[in-house]
Amino acid sequence: MRWFIWLLILSPVAFGDDLLPDERRAIARDPIYGQAVYSLHAGEYDKALGFNYQLRKQGRKGYGRILDIHEATAQLGLGMSQHAQKQYKRLLSDSRVSFLPAPARAQAWFYMAKHFYNKGLWASALTAIRKVKSAHIADDLKDEYHFLATTLELFKGKPAKADQHILAINPDSKWAVYAYMNLAVSYTERDVHISKVEAVFNKALLLTSNTDKPEALADKINLMAGKFFYATGRGRSAIKHLKSVSLDGAYTPKALLTYGWALTEQWQYHDALQPWYMLKTNHSALNQDVQETLIAIPHLLEKLNAKVMALGAFDYATEQFDDIYRQLGESATRLNTGEFIEPLMKQQVSDRWGAFESVDLSLPNHPDQIYLKDVMSQGYFQGELKNLRDLHVMRSQLQFARTDLKAFDIIAQTRKDEYQIIKKEAQVSKHQAHLSDLESRYKKLLSRINKAFKNPDGSGLASEPEKDQLASFKGVSKQINELSKRSSLIEASYSDRLRRVEGVLKWTLSERYNERKKQVSQNLALLEDKIRQTKKQFKAAQYAYQVAPKTFNGFKQKIQILDQTYQQQLAKLDKVYYKQREKVGSIVKVDIKKRQQRVMDYQLQARLAAARLFDETSNKQRIVTGEVRQ
Amino acid sequence: MKAIHSIANSLVLFISLCMSFSVFAADQAGLDAEIEELKAEVIELNRDLFDLEEQLLYPATTSFAVFVSMDAVPDFEIQAVKLNLDEQDVTSHIYRAEQVEALRRGGIQKIYAGNLKPGMHNLKAEIVGKDRDGRPVKRMVVADFGKARSSKYLEVKISNNPNQNKPDFAIVEWK
Repeated sequence: MRWFIWLLILSPVAFGDDLLPDERRAIARDPIYGQAVYSLHAGEYDKALGFNYQLRKQGRKGYGRILDIHEATAQLGLGMSQHAQKQYKRLLSDSRVSFLPAPARAQAWFYMAKHFYNKGLWASALTAIRKVKSAHIADDLKDEYHFLATTLELFKGKPAKADQHILAINPDSKWAVYAYMNLAVSYTERDVHISKVEAVFNKALLLTSNTDKPEALADKINLMAGKFFYATGRGRSAIKHLKSVSLDGAYTPKALLTYGWALTEQWQYHDALQPWYMLKTNHSALNQDVQETLIAIPHLLEKLNAKVMALGAFDYATEQFDDIYRQLGESATRLNTGEFIEPLMKQQVSDRWGAFESVDLSLPNHPDQIYLKDVMSQGYFQGELKNLRDLHVMRSQLQFARTDLKAFDIIAQTRKDEYQIIKKEAQVSKHQAHLSDLESRYKKLLSRINKAFKNPDGSGLASEPEKDQLASFKGVSKQINELSKRSSLIEASYSDRLRRVEGVLKWTLSERYNERKKQVSQNLALLEDKIRQTKKQFKAAQYAYQVAPKTFNGFKQKIQILDQTYQQQLAKLDKVYYKQREKVGSIVKVDIKKRQQRVMDYQLQARLAAARLFDETSNKQRIVTGEVRQ
Repeated sequence: MKAIHSIANSLVLFISLCMSFSVFAADQAGLDAEIEELKAEVIELNRDLFDLEEQLLYPATTSFAVFVSMDAVPDFEIQAVKLNLDEQDVTSHIYRAEQVEALRRGGIQKIYAGNLKPGMHNLKAEIVGKDRDGRPVKRMVVADFGKARSSKYLEVKISNNPNQNKPDFAIVEWK
């Protein structure tokens, strides 16, 4: 009956981020922590774990236990259950987890319990759910919490405690349906009176209207109830439930098969043929329910005394079993040669991995497609195939990383070459020489300018004849002064004429001074600009020279070390990959063997029955012929 | 004597069967542990590679990054962000439902990482989303910023304006 429980793990896929309490914002804009939170909630668990490692490596403090919770969540998301379990156990047993307020803590315990439950670690889930203080749990989680507590108490704890939880669930909530289903299963396990079981199944059926997919859920409940009543010899009750299962759902084959058997048990042989024919016609022969039907139909025909028809049906079944056996054998061969798993692995998306990422099973036109989907319904196989897929994805990641490292090596080499060129060109010293040359030119020019433009009257710019003229003006002026002292006969007009002539020359000189000063200022500005530019170039060259070595120094060695580590990791991973492939292969091989064995049994039954029927019909014929002769 | 011999034989067979079964079970558990260990190692290795990549491709003197953050804004659901740096479109991102939730729950997304010369630059962020009633919302935020010879981080911040009960959009510089 334990397998029933697995049918009941109905809760929608819970993502790892649900585990976390309401987050506080990233502390002091810590980009690594912020990105870790983002990756975790966005379902990118590998990145989240990477950031978490980085935070721990850098010894960042102030995060308390939140990093442990993040790590455990990411590990669970990546399918690292053993690591996560250890981490959770440490957290659960730690009484110092005090950074969370009571409602958030209740929420955290609840989500931890939910994750343990979904991973099948029910004992740990029970411990966690018992830590939840129901008064603090958020209103929108209350019903789910009571459902989880009900289920865990029913199957792992004290069933008596489950009653108070089930009564606390709002009947309009979808969780009420799931809780009543689990209660029914628990009753069937505990041999509770059949009327109580039926009442609980009916109650669950009534409540299905509150769920997202009421039809599918009602089908499931009806199938469960039908199988239970059939197994306990209550055919009529079984028929009532099995008749209600829809004809185009996921539970149709099982329901049709059980319906047929229930009718047979009620001696309604004619009616039993109808669901079995329907099942045989509409579904693949690789479906195990169809295989059972193939052998059940002729037996039923025999019961109905349609012996010739039964003989034909047995012959048909034998042929079909031959075919199924051959197909299964081919699958086993493909498995041995890697034709079965490798194409499946190759089509997996390179960055989609972890416990919450389903394996892409679409192998168009592959003969093992139906078988694969059938075998995937087994939870254990799914887990192992996911592990194999994760290893495959990791392998491609490692290979991709090695390509990256090669590219990084090229980048580092290019930078080194660039640096060598910079060094060889000696840009810094060239610019420095140019700059000092310009500066000395500037200084010289400035001293010459200062000298030339010292006197604003422009005498510094006079030519030699003009200088002579200026000197002679001084001499003439002196002579006029002396003559005028000696005799008053000297007219003032001489002095005026001299001043006029002198004025003309000084005007010319002053004009020239202004003109030249303008030119010199412009040239000086140009030179200053050139010096400024050269200074900038010099600084840039100096910066490039300073920076260049840092951009490649040490990287080559780092790249080499990392590449070696990647190579080693790849070799290690390859070994584990083949071991895991072997493991998955062995599961499928055992399964195929079992299926083949079952088909062989059916075939043997069919052959024996056919032979017996052949004998019976031939004897009958002989007897009839003998009677006619007599 | 024959009976004792046969009992001893069957005992040996039973013990060897038990041992082989326990070895097989231990092998299976060991393989699972090995896979988990490998996962942890690969993640750590990938982190080292990521560090190396950041150091090599984005040296501290030129590195530049833009982050996106969003408070729990009731009236806005982000759908996409497009960045334009110095009149060139540099990146865009369309958000999945889980990524929106991740931002709401305090996560910070590094939407762009690159190199930038020292000097003045201009960043434009176009944010597309929808409001509570499903009506499309499109906002553009612009920032002029200076880059020195050290890392520069900017944040496209979507916060809740409690007075108007509307989202506020801004580009914030990290000091």
